[in-house]
Amino acid sequence: MEELIISIDNLKEIARELFNNDCRVIGTTAENKFKVIDDPEQLILNPNSVPTGSSFKEFFFPKTEPLFFYKQNNSSIDLIDPVIDKSRIVVIGAKPCDAAALPIISKVFNWDYKDDLFNTRNDNSLIIGMSCHYNDEFCFCNDVGGSPENRKGSDVFLKPLADNYFKAASVTPKGEAFIKEYQKYFEKDLGKNKPLVRKEENPNHFDYDKVKTWLDNNFENKFWDTAGEMCLGCAQCAFVCPTCHCFDIVDEQNGSCAGRRAKNWDACQFSLFTKHASGHNPRDNQEKRYRQRISHKFKYYNDKFDEILCTGCGRCSRGCPVSLDILQIVEEINSLSQKSNAI
Amino acid sequence: MNELKQICKDALSEKKARFIIGYKEDKNKRIKPFIAKTPEDAEQLTFNHHAVNNLAVYLPRFKNNVEGKIGIVVKSCDLKAVTALIQENQIKRDDLFIIGVNCSGVVLDIAKEFNKDNTQIKCKYCQAKTPPYYDALADESKDFEMPDDDQAELMAKIDKMTSDERLEFWNAEFEKCIKCYACRQVCPMCYCEKCIVEKSEPQWIDTSSTARGNFSWNIIRAFHMAGRCIGCHECERACPMGIPLTLLTRKMGMVASSEFGYRHGMSLTEPTLIGTYSTSDKEDFIK
Amino acid sequence: MDNIYKPELVEIKEIIDETPDIKTFRLQFKNPELQNSFKFKAGQFAEYSVFGEGECTFCIASSPTRPEYLECSFKLAGKTTSAMTKLNVGDTMGLRGPYGNSFPLEQMKGKNIVFIAGGIGLAPVRCIIWNVLDLRDQFKDITIICGARTVADLVYKNEIEDWKSMSGIKTVVSVDPGGETTDWKGEIGFVPTIVEKVSPSANNTIAILCGPPLMIRYTFPILEKFGFKEENIITTLENRMKCGLGKCGRCNIGSVYVCKDGPIFSYKELKTLPQEY
Ligand SMILES: Cc1cc2nc3c(=O)[nH]c(=O)nc-3n(C[C@H](O)[C@H](O)[C@H](O)COP(=O)(O)OP(=O)(O)OC[C@H]3O[C@@H](n4cnc5c(N)ncnc54)[C@H](O)[C@@H]3O)c2cc1C
Ligand code: SF4
Ligand code: SF4
Ligand code: SF4
Ligand code: SF4
Ligand code: SF4
Ligand code: FES
Repeated sequence: MEELIISIDNLKEIARELFNNDCRVIGTTAENKFKVIDDPEQLILNPNSVPTGSSFKEFFFPKTEPLFFYKQNNSSIDLIDPVIDKSRIVVIGAKPCDAAALPIISKVFNWDYKDDLFNTRNDNSLIIGMSCHYNDEFCFCNDVGGSPENRKGSDVFLKPLADNYFKAASVTPKGEAFIKEYQKYFEKDLGKNKPLVRKEENPNHFDYDKVKTWLDNNFENKFWDTAGEMCLGCAQCAFVCPTCHCFDIVDEQNGSCAGRRAKNWDACQFSLFTKHASGHNPRDNQEKRYRQRISHKFKYYNDKFDEILCTGCGRCSRGCPVSLDILQIVEEINSLSQKSNAI
Repeated sequence: MNELKQICKDALSEKKARFIIGYKEDKNKRIKPFIAKTPEDAEQLTFNHHAVNNLAVYLPRFKNNVEGKIGIVVKSCDLKAVTALIQENQIKRDDLFIIGVNCSGVVLDIAKEFNKDNTQIKCKYCQAKTPPYYDALADESKDFEMPDDDQAELMAKIDKMTSDERLEFWNAEFEKCIKCYACRQVCPMCYCEKCIVEKSEPQWIDTSSTARGNFSWNIIRAFHMAGRCIGCHECERACPMGIPLTLLTRKMGMVASSEFGYRHGMSLTEPTLIGTYSTSDKEDFIK
Repeated sequence: MDNIYKPELVEIKEIIDETPDIKTFRLQFKNPELQNSFKFKAGQFAEYSVFGEGECTFCIASSPTRPEYLECSFKLAGKTTSAMTKLNVGDTMGLRGPYGNSFPLEQMKGKNIVFIAGGIGLAPVRCIIWNVLDLRDQFKDITIICGARTVADLVYKNEIEDWKSMSGIKTVVSVDPGGETTDWKGEIGFVPTIVEKVSPSANNTIAILCGPPLMIRYTFPILEKFGFKEENIITTLENRMKCGLGKCGRCNIGSVYVCKDGPIFSYKELKTLPQEY
């Protein structure tokens, strides 16, 4: 296949065209936050930027969304489906640790019952991923099967070149069709623009298989007494995370005869999450709730869906108010697993 | 530092405290809360400009579970929260072993170095860099350059807004809220076993992150902080969406102080503002 | 769009006050075709809702052998259940389901069955009891042991009388010590104690066990003592649920979603799961 490149200006042109065609263009601006881009000039693609504070999952799985509306007239009740925005969602410049999350959570939204709220948006999306040149003490994509060059979840993948150019390649048929659609903005790669390379390789921190084996055998372990001891039980970590997908279902009245049922983000770190109506709570302290978080990410989801529920983006740790660092926790498990091997 | 370690080691080995809630440095040199349970653990305790957390948030956890004293490392500002918790009968002074630290200012952004532009505004107004009372005191306070109070400028601007403009300003801020409740969970004064947002019969606040749900959540939490916020800035620091939450709580603290001459967390024996009625209280706010 | 979260409308046909805080609703789909096509198995649950108040999880308490209606029995617990207590015959509710797995009816055929239930735990057990009784000749001896805190808290009082009067069924009813009335003729004691007293034979027998977590925990060892094999003790779990569809993430025990892989588990399966229920 022909090798293609594209300039930042032409990417912005594509964004402009998409915007004019009623697409939702998602990208980052100077604030380094994912948002709907209405002015393509503001779009920034910087491989050296730190992952955004929050992931872009809210554009696929919103923090709150109606499941249906109800209207009561005398004795009859009408249920009305929500209107899901079917416009195309194009994410420009997703990091590998962002893009990879969509196929991961797509599994839970699609085993057996299919969640068409998520699927409609996901099916109408196109993800343009980009190599990442950033690395800090919280990043660990390559320990969970990813890498700064990983294309999982991307439809088109960009690699930064000198002089604000990007090498562009399609990853999926959807991506191929997209490049064809906008081919006038792409140029043949004549090798003039040198690739930008990351300064250093990402270090490896742990051996996932060992961590998994340890988790398989250590639901009861005194490690859990201290791992989540300082956790305050908020949901910062879950809500900024690209892979956390838990939700609550609530009814909200709007006047006495109408209202909606909504699906709202929820998280296992909240004390009420699993509390039974009888008052009994299977996870009655923060240590147990923290064990759930780690185990769900690195064991349960893998058992069930053959995916690690973590892309190693490090967001949860960067934003934790008490600096609980998920990587350090998993590293500790890794060293515990080595110790138990030695015996 | 060594002094702090030694004090804590001694307190633990002499059983003056059952455990000590303090700070440690992790392998990435991040300062984080830590509970030292043995004299050996105390070796890890530390304190510096990055010790931002208000550790008083952990005290209500141990409210009904005290055998021996709880040790806690506090800065002067954190001590206000401890005092306030005592005033509000959440914990008893006698159940605490307070290790005061002389503080020389803490950072605003924990990812950055301490300097004038990365110092919390509260440090500018901190009148007692040595905590007013303690059971042991560690380290020397050093002078540091005071930050600018950009927040005061913003407050003055908001004061001048019309109520519509103000509503617009706050709606735009609250719209960002994702209801993660980090602001509540880090707040030492938010200790209710069942928060109002969790009360479902009746449902006072929509739990959804809609404009309506966000507005009522943020405003009601601010109201519950009236005359109670001790100004630690933790809520705003914790908020992942960058909502300037302390603008509200600080303003209300200023009103409590100018209208009622009350500041929370300043005296172990003074009755709380919310819990007292005085015939000299102004009533002109009831309209 | 296929909206898996949108319920069907059902109408309340009959309300039975079982105890001061438990009611049984007899429900019928507003759409008669659905009433005919709705198929479920004993042990499955559904999500019932009052619009504007919320949704909650109850087992289907009626038997699949009686498809003209659906029943649920619920205990006043919180927001939705208190809204339900205010409903009247003729009112409309929402229903999604059926969800989850079911009692191993095929495995139970040709065997003796011991049903053990405590409190509202009799609701799912009642479903399978009628299912079994409606196919009576495919099963051997049947024992029903049910208990409640007090006499007033006993559910399905009339049906218990029916079971008592049927031949080939041993029905033992008990109330917790202190919960008896002066004219109480049944047993007095906690369910595990009564099971011990009844001492059912484990030979070719399956035990179905449902009730509060503590009752279940104390009954397991007694059944094991009588020689019941782990795989022949069947129970149901009640982890908090919202979606019932394996999506919302709150019902899990380790890698298992109780709403999809359960709520029915054998004691053998339970033993492989972490203690988080
Ligand atoms: C598989 C299964 C089968 C079941 N079968 C039956 C059955 O047949 N009959 C039956 O009666 N029950 C059954 N249950 C239990 C039933 O689902 C609950 O009792 C019901 O959902 C309660 O709903 P609610 O809206 O009334 O209570 P909620 O208002 O949701 O909660 C009730 C209580 O839970 C606590 N709580 C929950 N959420 C919060 C919150 N956000 N903030 C504060 N407190 C909270 C409170 O203590 C509250 O009083 C079953 C459960 C499961 C999982
Ligand atoms: S780990 Fe941190 S962010 Fe997550 S719940 Fe605990 S305190 Fe909140
Ligand atoms: S758990 Fe943390 S590191 Fe992993 S994907 Fe979520 S936010 Fe990123
Ligand atoms: S870690 Fe917790 S909040 Fe995140 S998906 Fe798992 S159970 Fe849900
Ligand atoms: S409201 Fe904010 S500033 Fe005030 S005490 Fe609570 S966390 Fe501290
Ligand atoms: S911390 Fe911020 S986003 Fe989270 S609930 Fe509070 S105000 Fe909302
Ligand atoms: S109830 Fe939602 S996942 Fe089981």
